[in-house]
Amino acid sequence: MPIIEANDLTKVYRVSQKKKGLLAAVRGLYRREYKEVRAVDGVRFTIEPGEMVGFLGPNGAGKTTTLKMLSGLIYPTSGTARVLDFVPWERARAFRQQFSLVMGQKNQLWWDLPASDSFELHREIYSLDKTRFNQTVGELTEMFAVQGLTRQPVRELSLGERMKMELIAALLHQPQLLLLDEPTIGLDVVAQVTIQKCLKEYNAHRGVTVLLTSHNMRDVEALCTRVMVITHGKVIYDGPLAGITEQFGQSKLVRLQFMGETTPDGLDRFGEVTRREGPAAELKIERQRVAQAVADVLDHYTVVDLSVEDPPLDQVIARVFQEGHTNHELRSSTNS
Amino acid sequence: MQGVLRYSRLMLALARFGIARELAFRGNFLVKVFVEILWLTILLAFYKTVFAKTSIVADWGETEYLFFVGCYFAVEGLLETFFLENCNEFADLVRTGDLDFYLLKPIDEQFLVTCRKIDWSTAPNFLMGVGVMGLALRQMGWTFHWGQVGVFLLMFACGIAIAYSFLLLLTSTSMWFMRNQSLFEMWWLFTSLMRYPKEIFDKSWAWPIGFFFTFIVPVLLVVNIPARTMVRAINEPRFVFFTLAATVILLWSSRKFFKFALRLYRSASS
Amino acid sequence: MSSVRPPIPEPGIQWSRDAVLTLPADRPVRVLRKYWNICRVSLIERLTYRADFFLATLLRFLPMLTTILLWQAVYAGADATKGQQELSGFTFSEMVAYLLLVHISRMFSSMPGLAAGIARDVREGTLKKYLIQPIDMIAYLVSYRAAHKMAYIATSALPYGLLFLLCWPIFPDISLSYWKVAAYIVSLFLGFLIGFFFEAAIGMVGFWFLEVTSLLYIVNTLNFFVSGQMFPVDLLPHPWDWILKLLPFQYMAYFPAAILLGKVEGTDLICQLLGEVVWVVVFIALSRWLYRLGLKRYSAYGG
Repeated sequence: MPIIEANDLTKVYRVSQKKKGLLAAVRGLYRREYKEVRAVDGVRFTIEPGEMVGFLGPNGAGKTTTLKMLSGLIYPTSGTARVLDFVPWERARAFRQQFSLVMGQKNQLWWDLPASDSFELHREIYSLDKTRFNQTVGELTEMFAVQGLTRQPVRELSLGERMKMELIAALLHQPQLLLLDEPTIGLDVVAQVTIQKCLKEYNAHRGVTVLLTSHNMRDVEALCTRVMVITHGKVIYDGPLAGITEQFGQSKLVRLQFMGETTPDGLDRFGEVTRREGPAAELKIERQRVAQAVADVLDHYTVVDLSVEDPPLDQVIARVFQEGHTNHELRSSTNS
Repeated sequence: MQGVLRYSRLMLALARFGIARELAFRGNFLVKVFVEILWLTILLAFYKTVFAKTSIVADWGETEYLFFVGCYFAVEGLLETFFLENCNEFADLVRTGDLDFYLLKPIDEQFLVTCRKIDWSTAPNFLMGVGVMGLALRQMGWTFHWGQVGVFLLMFACGIAIAYSFLLLLTSTSMWFMRNQSLFEMWWLFTSLMRYPKEIFDKSWAWPIGFFFTFIVPVLLVVNIPARTMVRAINEPRFVFFTLAATVILLWSSRKFFKFALRLYRSASS
Repeated sequence: MSSVRPPIPEPGIQWSRDAVLTLPADRPVRVLRKYWNICRVSLIERLTYRADFFLATLLRFLPMLTTILLWQAVYAGADATKGQQELSGFTFSEMVAYLLLVHISRMFSSMPGLAAGIARDVREGTLKKYLIQPIDMIAYLVSYRAAHKMAYIATSALPYGLLFLLCWPIFPDISLSYWKVAAYIVSLFLGFLIGFFFEAAIGMVGFWFLEVTSLLYIVNTLNFFVSGQMFPVDLLPHPWDWILKLLPFQYMAYFPAAILLGKVEGTDLICQLLGEVVWVVVFIALSRWLYRLGLKRYSAYGG
């Protein structure tokens, strides 16, 4: 039984357009132009229990909106979803008891009080059994390595420590589903890595399903076996991480080491020369042409070393985002 | 029953943490309490000045009016201690989107929005109000009467409930109106209606307004009815029943309105 | 199967989404429908804004209403029980006039945010801009406040004018002489200065204590009573009325109203005006002195 099922989930906002100029302002008094913003556009997927899924997309792609719909915070414009076998936006009490949503850079804990007091409050709110609760707190603080810090007021903690406390609080009631919205945003690398490690461990031991959104590749790379790429409200890819490069990576990187002191001229007829240093060069060549180009290079020059690589994932992703953006612009300009 | 127990324990925890919070800012706490004492002193000075000039104000005698002042102070004190600060933050919660976190908890949202923090600095107000009421009763030579106390307590609770409902209604409108003034200010203005006995409206040109604020928007009942049950015999039981009915209707409709406001929030937020 | 929730109208201007109906009918009807909906939606939007304004304005009148009604009851009581129609020389109509006039005095002498602003500048270090640039902080703040007040008074003129018109029948016969009006205007202006420099002096305390707001809280609560905003100072028994008239706070509310109502006249008026000038000088000196001391401390600590 899938733990999350989304079908044609759509959220449309109408935003009034304010145009520049006096005439437009006057016109704006009696007639308003509205632009439809399709924040989430017919999103469809299923997630099985125990999966760790990443939602990757640029800012404003609809990741947070989707997450909020799955938590029941927002009503969709159309479409259906079932989370933990509930309709999320009906917000049944039993539903709210079984999942957690953590948002990066937003604090759910009491600001002036030590984290342990917030945990106590959590215990009351979720009606948790005292001995089990104490055990859970002990386990989690040990896992996140923050045992000494729970008695300090939250405002005195660093950003990374605060995030760890947030995550602990989210896991206290042992939810079946953990929704994370940009959890490592603004954190330094060490904190990011620790949190990633802990989440992975927790998922492995407890089988908690994790759905995390990010525009940062590192999180997704470190944690998720499955990735959904979203741009402009649409899911354009749903599958393993490696598959992205295959589907979207349009070119490959060919590294060449030539005999002699320098690289020869005329390399640019094989592909785009991205680097040139002494006898080494890097060429960006379209996928389909790689085999032919390599054969040609080997024919014409004496090559000492050669390797063919996929471009770095974040470059691919960045280009996907960029392209999605341009396509979207094109589409909306032809529509209006 | 289980629900009541759960919410009571939650309240206790919130109360405990509220104290911890206040004690962390001890100086501030003491200043606030001092100001409240000052405010009561001013109210009493006003009362004394007025009754130096006359011995009756709108059908209320001197000691009766003193009881009214005490009752008012106790009511305001309770509202400020439990609800006012929380409601004031509602507009910010909506604006920043932090309201989401309250919607995620398996606890009634109205409870979280209106009761989550206890402002201990105004808690002494209730005690001071009770003290003044006690003083007035002693001056009146009042004799203890179970029935009267019972009705008084019931009417007092109804008064709090009615005032709470209006507070909730006002708070919910923050969803539509982006205000310049804070809720504190608006509440202060609104509660000026319950600061004086409603009899000041009767027998004057303003009696339609009095009627409106007694039967349509029954703010005038909040302090008046409980105070009246104590200082006079209950010769008009229909007022008691009307207050009870008004309490139920207002609690129900304010909750509906609040939920409506939340629905709008959940349609429009992104 | 379907858990599709019907679209719920979104607040404010986005209501149009549900408002615009699709009609597969002839074009003229559809066009009319469209414009009707646009009109309706714009109306709703304007009304929402108006409703808020309406509510806020209505609320603002309530304390005034209840206060007047209370005093009406007090006067009725005094008449019935003691046969008195004047309380310390104030008739009922004079009392109503007084309460309204006190609002005007407060328009001039209240300085919301002044002390807190100064303390905040000190605490957050934004005070530096006054030190780097060739402006004197106090002079700057005075001119800023004066401009603000003028704008505020100009915009409040209409609703207050309406209020006065409404209350005109209750108003007493006030005889206006050039001399009285001149004294009134002077007292308002001096009231502005006292209000400003008094709160500025409190703000200066921010150089030594971070939490000026507590002090402000206490002072403002006391001031509400002591300046005569609740009722004329004359109503208090001896020696309190005499004491309060010596203090500077009465100039912020009571004094201008008293002048206009003819409660202070002749030599008494001149003496009190001079007294007001003295207090202005005292507070200017005090705030300047505290400012100088505070700056020394501020630079010593590096800000």
